[in-house]
Amino acid sequence: MSTVKATRPLGPASRPRRRIKPVKIASFTALLLTTFLMLLPLFFMVSTSLKSKREMLKFPPTFLPESWAWSNYTDIFETLQFGTLYKNSLIIAGFSVFGTLLSSALVAYGFARYRGRGNNFWFILLLSTMMLPYPAIMIPQFVLFSKMQWIDTFLPLIVPAFFGSAYNIFLLRQFFSTLPEELFDAGRMDGCGELRMWRTIALPLSAPALATVAIFAFIYSWNDLLTPVLYLSSSDKFTLPVGMASLTSSRFRIPPWHLLMVASVLAMVPIVTLFAIAQKQFVEGIVLTGIK
Amino acid sequence: MKNMMKSKRYALLLATALTVTTVLAGCGGGKSAGNVAAGDSGAGSTGDPGKQVTISHYTIDSEDRTFIEKLIPDFEKAHPNIKVKVEKAPYEQFDSKLQTLIAGGNSPDVTSHYGYGGFAEYYNKDMLLDLTDLIKEDGFKAEDYNIPENLMKIYTVNGHTYGIPVNMYVTLMLYNKDMFDAAGVSYPPSDYEDKNWTFDRMVEDAKKMTLVSDDIAKTQYGVDFTWAERDMRPLYFGAEPYSEDTWTNGGVPSETHFDSPEVIAAYHKLFDLVFKDKVSPTSEWSKSVAGQNGDPFVAGKIGMSIGGSWNLAGANDFPFKVGVAAVPWGGNDKVRSTLYVDPLLILKDSKHPKEAFEWIKYLMTTEVQEKSIELSGGNPPVNTEAAEVYYKHFDGIDPEDVKKVYEGAVKYGYESYNHLITNYSQINDMFINELQPVETGHKTLEEVMPVIQKKVTEIIKR
Repeated sequence: MSTVKATRPLGPASRPRRRIKPVKIASFTALLLTTFLMLLPLFFMVSTSLKSKREMLKFPPTFLPESWAWSNYTDIFETLQFGTLYKNSLIIAGFSVFGTLLSSALVAYGFARYRGRGNNFWFILLLSTMMLPYPAIMIPQFVLFSKMQWIDTFLPLIVPAFFGSAYNIFLLRQFFSTLPEELFDAGRMDGCGELRMWRTIALPLSAPALATVAIFAFIYSWNDLLTPVLYLSSSDKFTLPVGMASLTSSRFRIPPWHLLMVASVLAMVPIVTLFAIAQKQFVEGIVLTGIK
Repeated sequence: MKNMMKSKRYALLLATALTVTTVLAGCGGGKSAGNVAAGDSGAGSTGDPGKQVTISHYTIDSEDRTFIEKLIPDFEKAHPNIKVKVEKAPYEQFDSKLQTLIAGGNSPDVTSHYGYGGFAEYYNKDMLLDLTDLIKEDGFKAEDYNIPENLMKIYTVNGHTYGIPVNMYVTLMLYNKDMFDAAGVSYPPSDYEDKNWTFDRMVEDAKKMTLVSDDIAKTQYGVDFTWAERDMRPLYFGAEPYSEDTWTNGGVPSETHFDSPEVIAAYHKLFDLVFKDKVSPTSEWSKSVAGQNGDPFVAGKIGMSIGGSWNLAGANDFPFKVGVAAVPWGGNDKVRSTLYVDPLLILKDSKHPKEAFEWIKYLMTTEVQEKSIELSGGNPPVNTEAAEVYYKHFDGIDPEDVKKVYEGAVKYGYESYNHLITNYSQINDMFINELQPVETGHKTLEEVMPVIQKKVTEIIKR
């Protein structure tokens, strides 16, 4: 592997072997440029979040805030009940992740380790639920939950996660299938019950897959707008996306983009944190399975 | 054999699914689906005096709509048997949530057409309660609430009233005083009777303020005439795209004339502002300067902007001095302004229409309407007495101008098509899509209008 020493002159003398290929420089530059382009919106998000309302309306827009309006970060808690929204979103996302992990891992384990009649049929049936778009089940589901008196509670947003989701089950099943049968045979010999094997053998070995599912479930719940809009009606129960959508809801006023950007910056924090934690899991998981 | 086994499995699956659903549905404990709120045991509209009922008011989740929450305590004090609950959704999701609520048997009692769909759509979907009997029984008179009689007519179909007007937005012109001063142009009049204030004079004034430069930061335009919904614009020049019967039969036109020479000529006049006179920005320019939802006028790049009176509510934040003026005369002696009168509606599935009507009446009283102006940050009331307070609401703008513009707009106004024509959200979407290539200069009106005419006809028949 050639180590990158971009400052080294590329004269004919340095031609043999260690020369940095022009292709490499080109691709490196291209990557750097794309990274910059990708980061630009992010930069503007942070920059706009620190501008005053008046400065936000300016054209051409200022690159960095002229006067740093740090107070935006405290204002948002007053204009939007930001703390309540954040807490609600975290509660719902937390339970959703837990529910998804629990149910999907259990079902996936069953699909991966048992051979029974109609095994494939049920699995295909399960996968086919992925093809149902949400609007198709929206109204029947709403009727169901409203009959259960669950409207304006968190239950319709949390409970479905405990019933598994096709995509995550599929993902975990594929992972569980790769675990060597010998491990489970050993467990059986030691007198391990199936549930215990699931908990003590399958789950710990599947950290990377579980981390992936956790991230997916968290992001899905964290970003979901339609379901909370349908089921929640009082402001003290709203989630972050609902509150943020409402910020720009008025047809009659200039939307407070600067505050929306503050909300976006803060809304990013849990996802970035979770990703950082899960990424460590990823690496460790790969190392562990590698040894086995 | 294999097939049979499969179908057996299917039957088993179906049976399981059905059982689960019935069991789950049973959990409701026999309570009616609509009654979410506690203490509400379906007293019905008989109005049992001792019994407490809860009514829900469904609205958009933004400060200028949810201010009604602050009006509830006083109302509940005066009506101890009625509780009011506010249900909210963001603007974009307003319609879909309402449809789901109704389909799910959770219909709110009071709402308005705040989403993309308008009154006619609600009416034709049979979502609205006929208020005629309630009004008669109650002895409700529009004049007691200072509601002009002609506004009451907007939401009356064949002698039956379906909505009580509550807010009235008009179309007006906002202008950037700084830009007028810099160009040495005199301010446009706020008086609708000023006969000199014509479309052509507006174009002349706009030319003096337009400055197109390679430097996008220096570029500015004289006028932005994106007036009302796209299908409404020909009306301003006297061309009528929908047949007369549209307004009398619940918003279903028997004929449309979007390919007529008059209508096409009217659109030409508007597009000339962009492509011939070059005093108006292209839609791409507007977007690049002000973002998807923004307004280049607010960024100080436009001299005159024709728009809804809700733009006034933001006026206190503009980084320049602003004035209001009349919409110039474009060739139609009767219509120069689009009105957006928002009614309060009671939905057909409401379980407590009587109590809902009490709440509506409360919102219409002069005192509450006056209070609402401040609480909402400047919503214009239909109540003519409360309107006097509204005219004075805007810093730096002469109340006399606001009043003149409002009164002129009512005189020369026409209720917006989006409230009066059926399936309007689809018509509107279609218009935006089909006119897009014309706005960007890739197609001509002669190519596009026959297509629009065909599509409008199809949508109306749905």
